[in-house]
Order: sequence, then C-alpha cells, then structure tokens
Amino acid sequence: MTLLRQTYLLMWKDLLLELRRRDSLLTIFFFGTLLLFVFHFAFDLPPDRIAELAPALLWLAFLFTGTLGLAQLFQAERDNHCLDALLLSPLDRGALFLAKTGFNFALMFVVELVVIPLFWVLFNLSAWNLLPQLFLVTLLGTVGFCVLGTITAAITLRARARELLLPLVLFPLMIPVILATIRCMESIMQTGGMTEAMPWLRLLIGFDIIFLTIGILIFDWVIES
Amino acid sequence: MRLIVNQLAKAYGYLWALRPLDLEIAPGEFIALLGPNGAGKTTLLKLLAGLSTPTAGTIELDGKSVAANSATRRGHIGLFAPADHLYDQLTVLENLRFFTALYGKESQKKGLAAAVEEVGLAERADEYAGNLSAGMKCRLSIAKWRLLDAGLLLLDEPYGVLDGNGVDLLEEFLRQQCAKGHIVIMASHHVSRAVNLCSRALVLHQGRLSFNQAKQTPWPSFDRAFGEFLPRGGL
Repeated sequence: MTLLRQTYLLMWKDLLLELRRRDSLLTIFFFGTLLLFVFHFAFDLPPDRIAELAPALLWLAFLFTGTLGLAQLFQAERDNHCLDALLLSPLDRGALFLAKTGFNFALMFVVELVVIPLFWVLFNLSAWNLLPQLFLVTLLGTVGFCVLGTITAAITLRARARELLLPLVLFPLMIPVILATIRCMESIMQTGGMTEAMPWLRLLIGFDIIFLTIGILIFDWVIES
Repeated sequence: MRLIVNQLAKAYGYLWALRPLDLEIAPGEFIALLGPNGAGKTTLLKLLAGLSTPTAGTIELDGKSVAANSATRRGHIGLFAPADHLYDQLTVLENLRFFTALYGKESQKKGLAAAVEEVGLAERADEYAGNLSAGMKCRLSIAKWRLLDAGLLLLDEPYGVLDGNGVDLLEEFLRQQCAKGHIVIMASHHVSRAVNLCSRALVLHQGRLSFNQAKQTPWPSFDRAFGEFLPRGGL
C-alpha cells in the first residue's frame, strides 16, 4: 500500500472521529473567536499602526488555538492503546505523520475561514481586497505550524505533563514561521502587494518544505522512541 | 513461519525484566506462556511484537531479523489485546474495514460481514465499538485477527472478559490458526486452559525462562516446575 493511500485512510479515520466527537473543532473555534473578542476590547488599535499590529494579534490567536488542537491530536490513539495497534501494523510512519499534519491543517483551515473575516470586521479593517493574499500567507504559515506541531505533539505524546510541555517545545521552534508569516502579512498590508513580501514568503515556503520532508523521514524514530 | 529468538533481554534501568533467553518455535506451534505476575510475560510479548526495543538479542521470523522492523515484517505479527486496539467512535464494521485496509487486506472486505456474524456481533455491526461490553470488544478482536490472519499471533490474558461461548470461539480460532501453520503464543494465568490448548509450555520466573518443554500427558515435570506458582487447587 502506498504512502498516499495509507495517509488517506488515516485522515479519513481522523475526520470521521472528529465529525462524531467534534471535540477539537468546537474547542479551537470557540477559543479562537473568544480571543478575538478579548483582543478587540483590550486593544484600541490606532489606524496608522494597524498594519503593524493586526498580523501579530491574528497569529497570536492562531498560535493559542492551534496549540489546543495539537494537545488533542493523538487523543484517539491514546484511547484503548490504539497507537500500539497502529505501530504494530505495516503502516509507514511517514503516512501517520502526513495524516496527522493534514488533519490538523484541515481543522485550522476551517477555523481560519471564520476567524480572519471576523477579525477584519471587529478591527474595522478596510482592505478587504487584500484578504486572498493574506489568506494564502496564513495558509503557508499554518502548514509550518501543523508540521512542527505534529512532530512536537508526537515527541510529548508519552510525557505526563504533555499539555504544558507541548507549547514549551513548540513555541521556540515556531519562531521562524511566526516571524516570516507576520512580516509577510505586514508587508502586504502596508504596500498592498506581494513584491516586498517575497523574501519572507520564500523563507516560509522553504521552511514548510524542509520540515515536511524532515517530518516524514524522522517520524518513525519520533513515534517509537 | 518459524520464530528464532537469540539471547533476547530487556532491562529497565538496572532492573532486568527479561534475562537473556533463547527460543526456537516451529510453524503451527501453540505456546503457553506462563508465570506469576511480574515474571516478564508481557515484556516478552511486547518485544516479539516490536512494540518495545530489546536491550540485547535478536528476533528472527523466517530467517529475517525483526529488528529491521520493516513494514512487511510487522504485517505478519499480531497482538491480541482483548478489549483494546479498537476505536471507540468507529462502528464494529468500520473498525474491521479500517484495520483490514491498513494491513492491505482489502480482499477480506467481502468477509467482514461473515466475520462479524461468526463472533455473534451481526446485530451490532453498526454500533460504535465504545458501546460494546468488554466481552463483546474481545469478540470483535477475534473477528479482527481472523481477518488479518497474522502468521505470529501473540495474546496477553485473553480470557479475562469472555463468557463461555466467547472462550469457545477464541479457542476454536486459535486452533485454526495453528492448523494453518501459524504460531500462537498466549500469556495467561488460566493455566489449565492454556495447557490444554498448547503444544509447548514456557514458564518465566523473575525474568528467567525456567521451563521450556513440549506437552506430555501426564506431565510431571511441568507440575514440578510450575508447582510453586500454581493457583490454589492446582490444574
């Protein structure tokens, strides 16, 4: 069975379980929305600094909500020792990594579809025409987050205080992704185009490709050790 | 399928859970793995399943090292966990469909309904596995491993949650596996049941293999070796 076929099978299982439980999606959706309202009431963004601060606030919300989702990422495998059942099978560990990353990305994507327009409304941002470009950058940043998040969630899977350990391990590793994404969005909002954002965009794409490849290669060792 | 174990050992820190052990198991053998709590039975099963890394030694299946842990090798080893290794929020049929696809045994899809029927779960085929009792889950595990048809099947205390009919189902399934030339290794505290089924008994005590002999009737050497661990009333 090919890597992609196994990945599809595992993602089908995870999406089916999520549709039935709705734990992760509802939790991160409501938490993300709640954070936006908190930011809305806490910060009075001056119009001249909005391009500088809005991406950072938006990504702060994604980072916190995404981490909540990551803490639940292997819950189905923890129940009934199903991880052992997967490790016992002829499954390619790379497929498990891709499936978990893909599932996490799907959850974040759904949340971002709602949260980004809501953010625009709450902070009274006028540049609606920039939304597609900003959304593209956000998706690239989300890929980086999900790739690193899946690796760190697997590393902390058997730790006792995994909910505490996960952000401690993840956030420092996320710095290049967050920096590149925020700078990219900031540049797009300030200039209205992608040209000046290209160096950061290249960094982001490079980071995604490198860590996606590393993840596939090392997940065997990560999940079994 | 032939299993050869050379100087296999496992230590947790300074504590030996399993001291160096040699074994050779021929195709079709049914091994009863016996011993008191903490003897190292589950450790041995986990090592054989590849779920734990040995401190020393090698495991070979049909002359190929399991340490290589290739996907193909793994596909031939099954660990029967009575009420575990099933997704609670998938239905009985979805669990079977998922695992047969994972093991690349899609051809077994036609047999799903028959497997469910054989273990008496036909009427509950569309119920979530999480809604089943532990005994019913164990029956579902029997259906699962019947479909996956592992060449080396490891069982850890399979009797605990099964009713009389379930025990008959399990034992019949295990006999069929051995008849096909597959190896079955069962760790159990139900000594009389395990001894009735087995072709050979292994007794572990404090991580050492203290007894390894093909079944005889009567079996005085087994009675002596296992005597001190026998439950009240003996066999």
